Amino acid sequence: MTPSILVEGVAKRYATASGPVEALREVSLSVDPGEFCTLIGPSGCGKSTLLGMVGGLVPPDGGRVLVAGRPVSGPDPGRVASVFQDPGLFPWRTTLENVELGLELQGVPAARRRQVATDLLEPLGLRDFARKYPRELSGGMRQRVAIGRALAIDAPIVLMDEPFGALDEQTRLLMGEWLLDIWRRTRKTVLFVTHSLHEALALSTRVVVMTARPGRIKSVLGVDMPYPRAMDSAEMVALRAGLWAEIREESLRAMQ
Amino acid sequence: MRAGRIALLRLAILAAALAAWEAAARAASPLLYVPPSAVVPALGRLLTLESYPDLPASLALTVREIAVAYGLAIAAGLACGFALGLNRLLGRAFGPILAALYAVPAVVWYPSLMLFFGLDAASKIAFGFLLGFFPIALAVLAGIRQVSPQLVTVARAFGARPPTVFVKVMVPAMLFTLVGGLRTGLALTVVGVIVGEILGSKAGMGALINHAYGLFRTADYVALVLVTVALVVASDALASLVERRAGRWTES
Ligand SMILES: Nc1ncnc2c1ncn2[C@@H]1O[C@H](COP(=O)(O)OP(=O)(O)OP(=O)(O)O)[C@@H](O)[C@H]1O
Ligand SMILES: [Mg+2]
Repeated sequence: MTPSILVEGVAKRYATASGPVEALREVSLSVDPGEFCTLIGPSGCGKSTLLGMVGGLVPPDGGRVLVAGRPVSGPDPGRVASVFQDPGLFPWRTTLENVELGLELQGVPAARRRQVATDLLEPLGLRDFARKYPRELSGGMRQRVAIGRALAIDAPIVLMDEPFGALDEQTRLLMGEWLLDIWRRTRKTVLFVTHSLHEALALSTRVVVMTARPGRIKSVLGVDMPYPRAMDSAEMVALRAGLWAEIREESLRAMQ
Repeated sequence: MRAGRIALLRLAILAAALAAWEAAARAASPLLYVPPSAVVPALGRLLTLESYPDLPASLALTVREIAVAYGLAIAAGLACGFALGLNRLLGRAFGPILAALYAVPAVVWYPSLMLFFGLDAASKIAFGFLLGFFPIALAVLAGIRQVSPQLVTVARAFGARPPTVFVKVMVPAMLFTLVGGLRTGLALTVVGVIVGEILGSKAGMGALINHAYGLFRTADYVALVLVTVALVVASDALASLVERRAGRWTES
């Protein structure tokens, strides 16, 4: 089976005013179709950079990135949809118009894209905010609009960079359940970034732990348990303890 | 409620100024100081084309000069602003020069413009253009700097090519600043054309003003100035309307 996402030995260095910053070193990763793969690692370890490479927005300095077997040479919204860490909503567009953006850029007729966007607002809990502008929304609502914008184009691969980072705990759990539901129904490939162990274990088929900068893959943890997962089962508690030990070490290093 | 109060306040200030003017003018030489009570009949004579029958032609000429100068300033300002703003090398090379030139009191260029373009409309248009050009070009540069790189990234990720990024991201993101620059540009173009006419011309509102002033027809002079002020206020009101529209559309 051709992997949805194949990353082979990529590296990234950013030139900054205070010299080069090595963000990624020799990172390889393969994500199969229909997988829910989560990246977790200390702040600044290059998770967003890696997602940017898969999305065709950040050219790698070495190695190669393939999406559905083809080398990535630029953004390809037909295959990959992104939810960014900074939601990046267009301030002059309403909720509905922001969700429609991708379809509009693809030339989908107005009536059709309005229909798709409207249907997405209900499960996102944004139905009453269709005609509001981003400045009138809470941080969590903005992030949900960004999720809607990515789902609207219905690409087989979805990259999500801390999509629930701005949400309160309760909403976060609910949104997690909602996303899980969508993923299980549509069988999309999801590459997800979070700082929450709970979220990683509740949602993912696989959790990839990254090292402190320069980011490398430290370990990969398969989570082969049926959904919805009982998070307080003995198995899960043990998995969580193991994951925490891995991440703790890297977070400590990152803070030095 | 608030709008009513502001209007009332403006009216009160106007009335006070007129009263002070009347009192001061009556106490001084009537040849040099015109009381408002003398301006009203002069304005009447002006508007019925008794004192200056060529008022409509002069007004039309001035408006035409403004329109041409402003059109040129918009075209050149946008072209220059976008060229310097979108091309990093050009921007580095010429951006600072543009800002420095804007700081020079533009009137120092006027004598050379008159030598070059003559006493007719061309030199007024050139001067109005010169004044209007800078705020427009600089607003484009400032607007481009305001565009959030994150929005450009998002648009690219969803499949926008550079021309689409320009239309769907850059233009709306910079619209408010741009329209502000266009408004300032219009105001300065009007200043340029009228100052140009007053500094030396044979036709237009400035020429009429010079004529009345030179003959000590002070009441007529004030009436002409009032008509010119009305022209300026009307053009600015139009621009501010457009600006408010743009402001409501974009986010301030
Ligand atoms: N455009 C850029 N220019 C310069 N340096 C950059 C750029 N983007 C990222 N970096 C640097 O590269 C490193 C990795 O950044 P990245 O955003 O990928 O980390 P991250 O894992 O997503 O962090 P976080 O969890 O805080 O979001 C950081 O040290 C960051 O400062
Ligand atoms: Mg990040």
